[in-house]
Amino acid sequence: MSKVVVVTSGKGGVGKTTTSASISTGLALKGYKVAVIDFDVGLRNLDLIMGCERRVVYDFVNVVQGEASLKQALIKDKRVPSLFILAASQTRDKDALTKEGVGKVIEDLKADGFDYIVCDSPAGIEKGAQLALYFADEAIIVTNPEVSSVRDSDRILGILQAKSKRAEEGEDPIVEHLVITRYNPARVEAGEMLSVDDVIDLLSVPFLGVIPESEQVLNASNSGLPVILETESDAAEAYEDVVARFLGEEREQRFLTEEKKGLFKKLFGR
Amino acid sequence: MSKVIDLKGSILSLTILNIYSDDIQQVKLEINEKVEQAPSFFSGIPVVIEPKVSLVDPTFLALLVEFLYQLQMIPIGVRSEDPGIQDQAEYAGLALFPPQEHKARHKTVPEELKEDMPSEIGALVIKHNVRSGQQVYAKGRDLIVLGSINPGAEVVADGHVHVFGKARGKIFAGAAGYADAKIFASHLNPEMVCIAGMYQLSEDIDDKAKEGFVEVALKDNKLVFNSKILG
Ligand SMILES: Nc1ncnc2c1ncn2[C@@H]1O[C@H](COP(=O)(O)OP(=O)(O)O)[C@@H](O)[C@H]1O
Ligand SMILES: [Mg+2]
Repeated sequence: MSKVVVVTSGKGGVGKTTTSASISTGLALKGYKVAVIDFDVGLRNLDLIMGCERRVVYDFVNVVQGEASLKQALIKDKRVPSLFILAASQTRDKDALTKEGVGKVIEDLKADGFDYIVCDSPAGIEKGAQLALYFADEAIIVTNPEVSSVRDSDRILGILQAKSKRAEEGEDPIVEHLVITRYNPARVEAGEMLSVDDVIDLLSVPFLGVIPESEQVLNASNSGLPVILETESDAAEAYEDVVARFLGEEREQRFLTEEKKGLFKKLFGR
Repeated sequence: MSKVIDLKGSILSLTILNIYSDDIQQVKLEINEKVEQAPSFFSGIPVVIEPKVSLVDPTFLALLVEFLYQLQMIPIGVRSEDPGIQDQAEYAGLALFPPQEHKARHKTVPEELKEDMPSEIGALVIKHNVRSGQQVYAKGRDLIVLGSINPGAEVVADGHVHVFGKARGKIFAGAAGYADAKIFASHLNPEMVCIAGMYQLSEDIDDKAKEGFVEVALKDNKLVFNSKILG
C-alpha cells in the first residue's frame, strides 16, 4: 500500500526541505521505493539539497500540465537505488499546479508501486501548502522551538484536519507526526527557546523527535547531500532515529539535553 | 391582481425587498419590471430580503439572490423569524437581520433570549482542540470544548462556555448580549475573555485566576474571576 506523506510547517525556513530530503533518503535506505516531490514551485530547492539539480530536464509542473511523462521527469537518485526525485519548476508561477493534475500524478506514482510519496510543502497556509497536503495519508509537522513557528504549525494542523481530501470525504483523519528541528538544548535551558514539552503541550501531536541545530546541515546541503547520509553527525543520527520511529520502531529520545563535554573533548574540540 | 412585491427605503437606508409570493418565476418577473423602469437606480444597491410568506421551495432564496446579482443589485441579508427561511439564508450566505419589533427586548434578559434560541437542544460539543485561525460559534446555546483552545483560536457562544482542556485563545460568552453567561475553565490563560461585550485582555487578568478551576462572570459591568466556586 502506497502512503502519501506531506512535510509541512506553515512557516518558511524551519527545515521542511531538509527534513523531506533526509526522511525520503532514510526510507529508501530501509528498502522502500520512495518518490519525493518538491511542491515549492518557483523556488526549487529540493533538487539542490539532493544534489541532482544538473539532471533536471522535466519537472513536476511539466508532468501536471501533460508536457512530459512521469517517467521522463522522475530523477533516479545516484546514491540510494530506490529513491526518485520530482523537482519543482523554477520558471512557472504557483498556479501551474492544479488539484486534478496533482491527484493524477499521485495516482500514477501509486500505480508505479511507490511505497512512500513524500510531498515537500511550500511555506504558508495558502493554496500551495493546501495542495501539498490535500492528498496526504500522513503528515510530518516540522516546527522550530519558537512561538511563531509553533503558532503557524497549529494553523496548518487546523487546515490538515479541515481541508484535506480525507477530511472532505469523511475518511479517517491524516496521521500526524511532529519533528522539532534546529533544536538547541543550551538555548532551551537558558529559556531562549521553547522546550520540547512546551511544543508538544501546545500542538498535542505524537512526537517523532528533535533534530539538533547543527552546522553540518548547511554544509551537507551545500554539497548536495541529504544530511542523513553524513557520517558522524548528530543531525544524521537524529534523522535516522526519526525515520525508525516513523516506521513504528521504539527508540529512546536523544539530543534533548546539552551534551556535557569532558575535559578531553573540550581540549580537542569533539 | 394582488400585490406581488414592493420596494421601499428603510431607516438603515438599505432597500427592503418584500416578498408576497412563493413563486420564484412570478417574483422574478415583477422585479424585472420594476428594475426596467429605472435600471441605474437599482444598480449596486444593497438589498435586504423580507419574505412575508413561507418559502416552500428550498432553493427560492438561492435563485432570488442569483437573479438580483444579475440585475446588479447586492443582496446582503434576510429579515425573517421563519427557521426554514433562516436556514436558506445561511446557505445562500446572507446575513440575518432580526425582525424589527424584537430589537428592543433582545438585550440581556435571559428568559427572553430563550425565545430566540434555535430549535437545537443542549450545548455544542467540540471534541478536539480548536487551533490557531479556527473559529467555533455556538449559536443560541452553550459551548463545551473538550480539547484545548490554542492561541490564535476563537470560540464564541451565545450561552456559557466550558473548557476542559487549556483555554489559551479568545473566549466569548453571551455573545448576543446574555449578561448572565459564564466561562468555566480549569486552565485559563487566554488571550482575551469577553462576556456580553465586556472584555479583558490577558495582561489584565490576575495571575491567580490562571491557576486551577475558575469561573468568569459579569458583575456590575465588570468581569470577575472566581476560583472558589467549588466551595
Ligand atoms: N537542524 C538544522 N541545523 C541547522 N540549520 C538547519 C537545520 N535544519 C535546517 N537548517 C537550515 O535552515 C534553512 C532552511 O531550511 P529548509 O529545509 O530549506 O527549510 P524550509 O524548507 O522549511 O523553508 C537552511 O539554510 C538549512 O540549512
Ligand atoms: Mg523548502
